[in-house]
Amino acid sequence: MLVLINGFITLCTYGIALFFLISIVRSFLKTKNVQDAIVYAVMMVPFILRMLRLK
Amino acid sequence: MKKLSLNAVKVIALCVIAFCMAIAGFLFREHRTFKETVVVSEGCTEVKKLSDYSDAIKPGSVNDCNVYIYDSGVEGGTFLIIGGSHPEEPTGPMVAQLLAENLKVTKGKVFIITRANNSASTITRIGEAYPRFYTLETNYGTRTWRMGQRHAAELDSWPDPEVYIHYPSTQNLANVDIRNLNRNWPGKEDGLLSERTAFAIMELIRNEGVDYTLDYHEAELEYSVENTLVAHDRGFDVASMVSMTLTADTFDVPIGMEFSPAALRGLSHRDIGDHSNAASFLVEVAEPMLDRIRGVTDEKLLMEGKDIFVIKAGEHGLLYAPMDENGWPIEKRVARHVATTTRLIEMYSMMHPDQEILVEGIPTYQELLTNLGAYYRNPAAVDSSRVYFD
Repeated sequence: MLVLINGFITLCTYGIALFFLISIVRSFLKTKNVQDAIVYAVMMVPFILRMLRLK
Repeated sequence: MKKLSLNAVKVIALCVIAFCMAIAGFLFREHRTFKETVVVSEGCTEVKKLSDYSDAIKPGSVNDCNVYIYDSGVEGGTFLIIGGSHPEEPTGPMVAQLLAENLKVTKGKVFIITRANNSASTITRIGEAYPRFYTLETNYGTRTWRMGQRHAAELDSWPDPEVYIHYPSTQNLANVDIRNLNRNWPGKEDGLLSERTAFAIMELIRNEGVDYTLDYHEAELEYSVENTLVAHDRGFDVASMVSMTLTADTFDVPIGMEFSPAALRGLSHRDIGDHSNAASFLVEVAEPMLDRIRGVTDEKLLMEGKDIFVIKAGEHGLLYAPMDENGWPIEKRVARHVATTTRLIEMYSMMHPDQEILVEGIPTYQELLTNLGAYYRNPAAVDSSRVYFD
């Protein structure tokens, strides 16, 4: 049972990471500030690597 | 020069980070999936998986490690060697693999685990600039191992609890230690990854009637538990003899002996002994690359054990182990652990004749100091049935 609960919590964590990734991508697309765009692009990196289960 | 439009900048930024992620992703994946070769000796009678001992570990999962079995067929003692608890300490898997590749048991039974916390070997410490691999020149070529970190990979065990409450003692430990195999003994069947791994190894210990265990570790020279053999209550007498005799006749730097503190839970030297009939031991040797004051962190430092800042600290008497321009090369660290293993077997057998284990084929301390690479076998020169991958 605990293993199932732990697995569910892990899925939720990936869901939260996906939510943040989508938020960053939306901000990246919407922004009209060049510097902000570059920062958003860099911020995407750890979330994409986690979604792809690389890091 | 024409000013770039916002969209052009965005596209360029995306291309740059995609390029960086592709390189980084390839490197991460290459490290995580790298297979280490183990050429078992002719004395190896069987190779099982950890999942064979407990359903807590799923077959084929990341911590379903190999268990190398050396059964003489002659009744005697049973000994479990645990390597790879902390994959950022290379002597663990190196010594366990060296033994797996050379050991012959003529009385009793020996079990060897080379990568106990395999998940922790698939990732390196964030922000520490560890090399991804370390290598050793052997008689046939280069042998390569994965460098790892202390804790299981976040990809395999996530998230960590806010506070890690150790089972069954309920002691509060640091939250990251839920992924530290050496804070999870005796484990928990329905816990997180490292808890289940420890539980499965405990099942091996209980079901196979293991009489004593030895867990290999390394420690920074700034840490007080250094160059020592830590023993459970059942092993005090044996550990004392091992420490005294090795210091007297083999090692230039003494090996100490520590009593496993009953108040600190989760460590192999305490909880393996408390939750089984085995006497549990843990051995430490110096590893300068773990010191916080180190300089450049690279494979050279890891294998040669020389760092100018750690040496300077040694000159000022700030370390718990001697440190000079000779450093702590991997040959010396491996040799110390192998010699400790051999002496432990001898002393335990002497003091517990009904649990005697007789072994052959293990190189001596001096042989390893001068020619460590000669004791790792060429996988191309043996039958493929003797080649395994960790």
